[in-house]
Amino acid sequence: MMWRRGLRALVITVLSLLLVIYVAGPVAWLVSSSLQSESDITAVPPNWLPPKVTFDNFEAIFAPPKREVTYETRRQGDPATGRFLPSGAENLLPALWNSFAVGMLVAILNLVVSMTAAYAIAVIHFKGRKAALYTILVTRVIPDIALIVPLFLVMRQLDLVNTRFALVVTYLAVTVPFTIFILISYFEQIPRDLYRAARADGCSHWQALRFVYLPLSLPALVASVMFAFLTSWNEFIFALILTQNITSQTLPIIISGFVMDFTTSFSFINAAGVIAIVPPVVLAMMFERYIVSGLTAGAVKG
Amino acid sequence: MADTWADRLSRKAGYDERSAAILILPVFVVLMVVALYPIIYSFYTSLFDIVLTRPWRRPFVGYGNYARIFQDPMFWVAVQRTTVYTVVTVSITTVFALVVALLLNEAFPGRRLLSALILLPWATPSIVNGLMWKWIYDPGYGLLNGILVQVGLLESYTVWLGNPDRTLFMIANAAIWKQMPLAAILLLVSMKAIPQDLYRAATVDGANVFQRFWHVTLPALKPGLMLVLVYETMISIRHFDLFLIMTQGGPGDASYTLSWQIYVETFRNLKFGIGAALSYLLAIATFVLSYLFIRGFGSKS
Repeated sequence: MMWRRGLRALVITVLSLLLVIYVAGPVAWLVSSSLQSESDITAVPPNWLPPKVTFDNFEAIFAPPKREVTYETRRQGDPATGRFLPSGAENLLPALWNSFAVGMLVAILNLVVSMTAAYAIAVIHFKGRKAALYTILVTRVIPDIALIVPLFLVMRQLDLVNTRFALVVTYLAVTVPFTIFILISYFEQIPRDLYRAARADGCSHWQALRFVYLPLSLPALVASVMFAFLTSWNEFIFALILTQNITSQTLPIIISGFVMDFTTSFSFINAAGVIAIVPPVVLAMMFERYIVSGLTAGAVKG
Repeated sequence: MADTWADRLSRKAGYDERSAAILILPVFVVLMVVALYPIIYSFYTSLFDIVLTRPWRRPFVGYGNYARIFQDPMFWVAVQRTTVYTVVTVSITTVFALVVALLLNEAFPGRRLLSALILLPWATPSIVNGLMWKWIYDPGYGLLNGILVQVGLLESYTVWLGNPDRTLFMIANAAIWKQMPLAAILLLVSMKAIPQDLYRAATVDGANVFQRFWHVTLPALKPGLMLVLVYETMISIRHFDLFLIMTQGGPGDASYTLSWQIYVETFRNLKFGIGAALSYLLAIATFVLSYLFIRGFGSKS
């Protein structure tokens, strides 16, 4: 019996360690190489940890150097000195702000429109609720890339190209169907007697939603906010086509530009990657319990 | 006219119907503009021969675009690449996720920390995921070469992404890393729903760990597995971000998948008709595959 307990502990320990390395290893390497200078990241064999930690890349992003062209700055900007920073470095800060603004708005609007629709479909037994639900869900079957051209035309018609608002509305189309699906499965688990009691006491539908359903589905609401923010933060292809300048471009667009430009140092690209990874990861870790219980609400029943 | 019709409707319809209509209206307005209209418009586009470099002539061709796609050898290349990529990604993701779920289903110190940590790849933006692995695979300075040479598994540095025989698998690896956590969480939740009595009964009957897994866990997991397979297939078959950032369809046509073909036809060749028709073929393929999975797995439960 003893050796079996020992074996179980051994298997669990080994698997856990492998999992930690597999999950965190690549990101650790990303962070490590973002803190190395150009000459350190091009060492063979690679430096696992920065031999000399440098914040040059982050400094260039958060405190962009003045772009006066003098002999000194020219010399510093020479790729051969190893302190070469891409010309778009100062775009990262506005892009970070755009990503935040779009993400917040999507998170809020997604919750507001989804919770009312989910309440209507899950709780009010009106005619055509099945049809309404299927219409909403079927919009997710078509690949995003198929929608880009028509969406671009719509946005141009509405004069919204190159605005953050265009991204907000577009991302709602991505997040709303899934959020409604999750909220419906949550609302349906709430005992219907509560609804009957509320209505018998004279609650309107709005009040029933506000005072009965919303307080009882907090995990699902938090999960939808997180899901919408992360989806919006991570989205790439819509933003690539709908936004062409820095007044509205989000972080993934700016970063992909650096990756495509083969003169940009990977030490700088990785620093930009670290900046893009921190907010979603922090949120995901903070709200882990809600995300898991919320996102899987519909999965248990199948 | 419209006024009286609307008035009559609201007088006749009950409070429930009216509330439901008001509550659901915002969603429908949004989806109408940014989802339903584009979907219909893009199907309409797929019936015309629209080439933006020739804007004055856009004849109606009916299923002509579809016929042309089927005769295009590059389409069949794309189908083959997409199939390999999707099968590899989905199968390995599912197996990994199953192992991780089994691990997290056990009680041990540090389990909670571990289940929070696995959200790390899930929360990573796909663009960052792509650049991170591109850097790991780097032929000159990447970590993968570095480790393999240091351990002695590899004589000298080698090309990973730029090697046509490897590139699809290298991209798939990045996708698996990001997708495995959600799949594991979904499987873990369905595992938690399995009644403990089944395990006790099986243990009393003398079943060992593997027999219990095979005869109790796996059958009970069927709905969960089906959900994971359908979801992962739908996601993987249309992956695009990783391909754009890591290989741009290359080297040669080694990672020329359907999504990439749609992108090339639409935004590089500016053949909007062909692009829309390809998108519809991809949508239909997704639909049929999900249906087959659900039929195949749902037969018993």
